Amino acid sequence: MTVVYAAMISIIAGAGIYMLLARNLVRMILGIALLAAGANVVIFLSGRLGSVAPPIIERGTEGLAQTAANSLPQALVLTAIVIGFALTAFAIALAVKAYSSFQTLDTAAMTAAEGEQG
Amino acid sequence: MPFEISLATILIVAFAGSIASFFILPRFGKLSGPVAALLPAGLFAAFIAYLPSLATDEQIVTHTQQVNWVPSIDVNLALRLDGFSMLFALLITGIAALVVLYAAAYYPDEKANERARFIAFILLFMSAMLGAVLSDNVIALFIFWEMTSLISFMLIGFKSTSAAARKAALQSLIITAGGGLALFGGLLIAGMEAGTFSLSAMTADPEGLAASPWFAIMVALILLGAFTKSAQFPFHFWLPNAMQAPTPASAYLHSATMVKLGIYLLARFDPVLSQSTTVLNIMLGFGLVTMLVAAYNAIRTDGLKSMLAYSTVASLGILVTLIALEGPGASIGVAGFILAHALYKAALFFSAGIVIHATGKPKVADVHGLLYVFPITAAATVLASLSMAGLPPFIGFIAKEYVIEAKLEASFVFLVTAATVVVNAVLVAVAGVLALKPFFTGPMLKKSDCIHGETFGMSAGPAVLAILGIALGVFADIPQFLIVGPAAIALNGEPFYVSFELWAGITPMLLLSILVVAVGGVFIWQWGRLRRLVAHLAPIEKLSAERGYYFLFDGLLALSKGTTRTVQNGSMRSYVVTTIGVVAVALIYGIVVGFAGTNGFGDVSALVTQPIRPYLLIVCLLVAASAVVASISRSLVVAVVAVGLLGYGIALVFLMNGAPDLALTQFSVETLFVVIVMAVLVKLPTIAIRRGDHGRFDFRPGDALLSIAFALTVFVVVLSIATKPFDLTVTQYFAERSLSDAFGRNVVNVILVDFRALDTLGEIAVVAFAAISVWGLLSIRKTALPETSGDSTVTMPSLIFVTTARFFFVIMIAVSIFVLFRGHNEPGGGFIGGLIASAGFAVLALALGVNFAQKRLWLHPIVVMGIGLVLAIVSGLPGAWLNGSFLTHQWGDLNLGFTSIKIGTTMIFDLGVFLTVLGGVLAFMVRVQQQNALVIHREKATAETGPTLQGVQQ
Repeated sequence: MTVVYAAMISIIAGAGIYMLLARNLVRMILGIALLAAGANVVIFLSGRLGSVAPPIIERGTEGLAQTAANSLPQALVLTAIVIGFALTAFAIALAVKAYSSFQTLDTAAMTAAEGEQG
Repeated sequence: MPFEISLATILIVAFAGSIASFFILPRFGKLSGPVAALLPAGLFAAFIAYLPSLATDEQIVTHTQQVNWVPSIDVNLALRLDGFSMLFALLITGIAALVVLYAAAYYPDEKANERARFIAFILLFMSAMLGAVLSDNVIALFIFWEMTSLISFMLIGFKSTSAAARKAALQSLIITAGGGLALFGGLLIAGMEAGTFSLSAMTADPEGLAASPWFAIMVALILLGAFTKSAQFPFHFWLPNAMQAPTPASAYLHSATMVKLGIYLLARFDPVLSQSTTVLNIMLGFGLVTMLVAAYNAIRTDGLKSMLAYSTVASLGILVTLIALEGPGASIGVAGFILAHALYKAALFFSAGIVIHATGKPKVADVHGLLYVFPITAAATVLASLSMAGLPPFIGFIAKEYVIEAKLEASFVFLVTAATVVVNAVLVAVAGVLALKPFFTGPMLKKSDCIHGETFGMSAGPAVLAILGIALGVFADIPQFLIVGPAAIALNGEPFYVSFELWAGITPMLLLSILVVAVGGVFIWQWGRLRRLVAHLAPIEKLSAERGYYFLFDGLLALSKGTTRTVQNGSMRSYVVTTIGVVAVALIYGIVVGFAGTNGFGDVSALVTQPIRPYLLIVCLLVAASAVVASISRSLVVAVVAVGLLGYGIALVFLMNGAPDLALTQFSVETLFVVIVMAVLVKLPTIAIRRGDHGRFDFRPGDALLSIAFALTVFVVVLSIATKPFDLTVTQYFAERSLSDAFGRNVVNVILVDFRALDTLGEIAVVAFAAISVWGLLSIRKTALPETSGDSTVTMPSLIFVTTARFFFVIMIAVSIFVLFRGHNEPGGGFIGGLIASAGFAVLALALGVNFAQKRLWLHPIVVMGIGLVLAIVSGLPGAWLNGSFLTHQWGDLNLGFTSIKIGTTMIFDLGVFLTVLGGVLAFMVRVQQQNALVIHREKATAETGPTLQGVQQ
């Protein structure tokens, strides 16, 4: 199954880079979102998968069952998802601002417009 | 001696007093000069108290005091006061007192603040100079040395509105501080080779250093430091340029003190330097060339101050040649000449400053007839000039006798002596011109012809120094026993009888002195002709490193501009290509080389033979397909939906691998993501269109190739990670302690709010910062917004949607609170709860407008976020108070009668997370919506009034 995950991650990453190379600002932001999602899965995978039991201590027991999934990468990824969302939201705000300033989402046109101004 | 104040105290008082003067001097107004002069005058007196103990020619008296600074690397404030340091200390403090008085009069009352700041810088400079000449530790010496360079930068560029002053300040800083760096290298080598950083210990064993293989490099670096500081050829150009400084600074820095620091260092290192005849000859050579080039330029230049500056450079050249000469006579020459030169040169700078200040004319040719307006200054100038010309009975005469004597003792008599005679004759001429031209020539002026007349503050300096120049010559016993004598003995290294007399009989020195004065007299007589002759002479002024300086300076600027243009070219694509290219190459390199032997992989076959879970396989295929569709679809709407779908797929992957918390988070985030991006896209339909885009697919072959290469790299890296040995120690620690220590069954949540709560606090802070940034970035003037903005007036949704939305909102808020509080033991928690609540508000906003939704929050989103952050921080305070550890959560039992519940500060923390996330997301939604409303408003306005208004509005 790991090979399947690895293939999936690599496709997400490749697609993310491809979108990042586009000239449309919104497309680039979507690419960043894809890369963030891919990175999250890499961290998740690095804790080793295989268990389907969540890392929750059963009622009546004192410790976590040996079969439970690895809790540490989950904690890391959980905050990473939220941070990634904050980053994407910020990038979208930048795009909105850029559009209202330049009336375009084309990064090349923005660079050209900046050159004229500066 | 009861009157001797410890050296460390002197230094501390100097620095503390100068720093305090920045703040207190502005209060004193007119009196700031005399008040500020108390500091250097007091320090001067403190040094005078040491004088009697040094006055003996039977032994070398040295006062030392050690203050440990960084003992581990042998850096200490070892202070040493011997005769040579004393000479400098007296000049530094004594002249500082006069300079401060002079500066107070130099700056008019209306510039009181400027005056106070200038005086404070002068005092600070004085303190740094004192530190340099009192330090026996070479590291401390270096620090004070660089301090003087820095403060002189402030002083030269003090008139910061003048571009020339700023340029000169930068130039002197680059050259002297750059030379200082070379010096630092030399001192470090010397310290490591000698095994000590004590200057006295280092120079007590010069043979050891001379035997070192690093000797040549060490000496070269030290010479570089000293030559740049003391304006030796070819670095001499910075000193005349530094005449941009206010005259009091020039009088202080560029005649008496800073430029002599290089001389001081060379004299201190003389025992080491004189181990090699080659080094001495090099110094002699540079000193001679400096003298000659400076003498030439002194004739050629036309400014009062620059004439003085070039004559100073010539004097510094004379001092360097003297240090290069051996024997006790040279020691007397060095000490005597430093004293005499400081007295007359500072006086002449003062007087030149008065002339320029009173007439506004900086050129020699333009000033005349000031005798009756400035009688005291004129008298002082004449006296100082006579001392500079080396006429008896001035101290300048005695000093020159010994300078010539030392040169006569040198082996290659003729060349050195001839150069000395010529240069000294030029100095005589310069002294004569500076004394005669402004005061005694041309039509005599009245007071009304000048900007101001004689003032006490400005004339006191030259008068005192000029009188000292003649008094110390007539009563030569005083310098002989108290000042020059102890200094010469300290320089010589062993006691000897120091003669310093006005009349030593008819000696070759006296005859040469007469020759010098005679030639100088001829120069004065034929001054105009001499200047014309020199002007036609070969362009010696090109023989300076100034051209090289500008070549390097401009070249460096051009290089950095070029680099910026190439690297920071503004093309986002080239940044991305460079970044991922480097990352991919580094990753592959790391795997191939870093794990050589293991091939970068563990047991790959174990991975391949793992069982495939069919449902998961389908989900993964869905995710991969979404990624491909998102990347190649031309339509942005399709792309956004595909990205959302991919997120849901990943949430499923989390869910099916025992991570319900992650799945819930991912679901909420993905929902919010799609809603927000759609809001941006749908409300601004124009932005989905890009000029020049055709067809349904966005296909770029080159980019596709690069992306595939990156994807393959990632594939290999992920497999490599998966086959590495695995360590579960930390995970097991959390699993074992979760319930017993933190009373929580959901280990993921416990890690977030308890074990790693500080990390989580940092993360919600990042969320808050992002939201505040968005709030500021998208802020718009209230007046720009239409009244109805944010209400659902643009597109009225159906009644059914509005009704269900209200219903859903209530349900979602209830669910989010439930999820928040059960999170410690079951899947859930602050992050997930906050996201679900945000989604509830999003639904409400979609149906009834953002303003309506915002009103349901009661508070401003940013305030909600702030409350959340404060709660999270507050929850950590009990732990800080009780356990001394911030964010160590506290627990207690809440007895409800029938049962007791465990409650803890983690709940407050998680509530903080909840509110921060909720406030942040809402802040973002409000701003994006307002921006959209503005754009729509503008478009409407454009449609109604025609396209001309658009141009006006933009």
